[in-house]
Amino acid sequence: MPNPLMPNQDNLPVKLKGVGDSLWVTFDATRPVDELKDALNKPFERLKQLAVNARIILDSGNEAPDGRLIEELGGYLKEQFHVGVVTGPPPKPRPEVSHKRTEDLGNAWHSHNSEALIIAGRVRSGQKLQADKHLIIMGDLNPGAEAIAGGDIIVLGTLMGTAVAGQPDNEDAIIVALDFRPTQIQIGGLAAAGSTGIGGSGKAPEFAKIDNNKIVVMDYIAANPFKRFAWPEVR
Amino acid sequence: MEGKVVVVTSGKGGVGKTTVTASLGAALALQGKRVAVVDMDIGLRNLDVIMGLENRIVFNVVDVVQGRCKLKQAMIKDRRINNLYLIPASQSDEKNVIQPENMKWLCNRLKKEFDFTLLDCPAGIEQGFKNSIEAADEAIVVCMPEISSVRDADRVIGLLYSRSITPKLVVNRIIPKMVERGDMLSHKDVVEVLSIDLIGLVEMDESVVVSSNTGLPIVMQKESKAGKAFMQIAMRMNGHPDLPVEDPMAPKSFWKKLGGKISRKNKVH
Repeated sequence: MPNPLMPNQDNLPVKLKGVGDSLWVTFDATRPVDELKDALNKPFERLKQLAVNARIILDSGNEAPDGRLIEELGGYLKEQFHVGVVTGPPPKPRPEVSHKRTEDLGNAWHSHNSEALIIAGRVRSGQKLQADKHLIIMGDLNPGAEAIAGGDIIVLGTLMGTAVAGQPDNEDAIIVALDFRPTQIQIGGLAAAGSTGIGGSGKAPEFAKIDNNKIVVMDYIAANPFKRFAWPEVR
Repeated sequence: MEGKVVVVTSGKGGVGKTTVTASLGAALALQGKRVAVVDMDIGLRNLDVIMGLENRIVFNVVDVVQGRCKLKQAMIKDRRINNLYLIPASQSDEKNVIQPENMKWLCNRLKKEFDFTLLDCPAGIEQGFKNSIEAADEAIVVCMPEISSVRDADRVIGLLYSRSITPKLVVNRIIPKMVERGDMLSHKDVVEVLSIDLIGLVEMDESVVVSSNTGLPIVMQKESKAGKAFMQIAMRMNGHPDLPVEDPMAPKSFWKKLGGKISRKNKVH
């Protein structure tokens, strides 16, 4: 039940309340200027001395405040009631817009700590490299050397030794080499025998992956395995 | 000035370590250096036979290390080449009778007397290898143009690097005709995989077999291609590091070059 002693606040063209060290004046921007000035008189006359030099915030309630209207009403208040600074409302903080699929659009690589082990140099026979996730070798992996990774193995050089990727059970892992001549490769639980020769093949870069429960080797540039990704993904 | 201790090693057996050690020892001595060659293959000594000194062995390296004789007593002087001495291995002991610290002591003494001390390392990477590399300043890795030899050489190179020894490579027993036919790895393939400095290429040479059986150093046989190659390697070790390595594959005459070009052309079409 509405209180008969309090007029209905919703219908007033001007409302006033104290916020911090300022007076926050909310007005209905759809009303004519004269009516607003009139409506301002009533509360400010009541304030009397309190209004002198007071900081006033004029808020039309709209997202884009009308600067001219605020200026005019501000000028009126300064003239009539000797108020201090008159400003528009401070910009409201933008509400968080939640995306349903943020992980697709998010730049995950910004906050990603690298889990790749990057090694430069030649890995010789009898040497064994192990990485929890991806392993990148900037150099050659010689016959008799072993590279073992939880994720992918990328050899920026000649792969002649044994490469074991996707351990223990990551069947999406791949093995890439600029010159792909491994003794043996393994991905997840599958193994494939390679060649045993030495000497440049002169072939294009190749990669191995699991396809239909078999390890297949393809030309990396021609197959371009990640070209269909809509967005760069952290691997 | 102290001399250098150079270990000759390969990982794999039968690639020519002992022949390389004997030949380089003789070549360096012929070039006026004081040289000691030490057979580290305890239990399976060969260097004495290759050098034709087996009938003069009284004491050996184990006797020296265990204090049964003086160092001088175990050194056998080569009668044909001045300033070349052999310290033979024991044929009846095992590799672990010598420990790395014994080798340090021995090599420190040899360094004071000789410009070069060449250690003939046994095959493998166990105690005998560990003893041999313990006191070495430099290493020569001998490799045949063959996949198994390359793999073992690669392993040994890794172990040498891990002990801060930078090895140099000798590719031994190259048969140019087989390489041409594509039946043998070329030295370029070997160098590409091992990627260390090449110090010499030695062709397969029948006179090496004769020399091993007769005990006459191959470097003293003027006609021998292998002997010439070893002399050149010795010069590279002995203050001429920039002496170019002769490619046994390079066609030697104008007609051969022309022939090579024609046969290559034919292959393309």
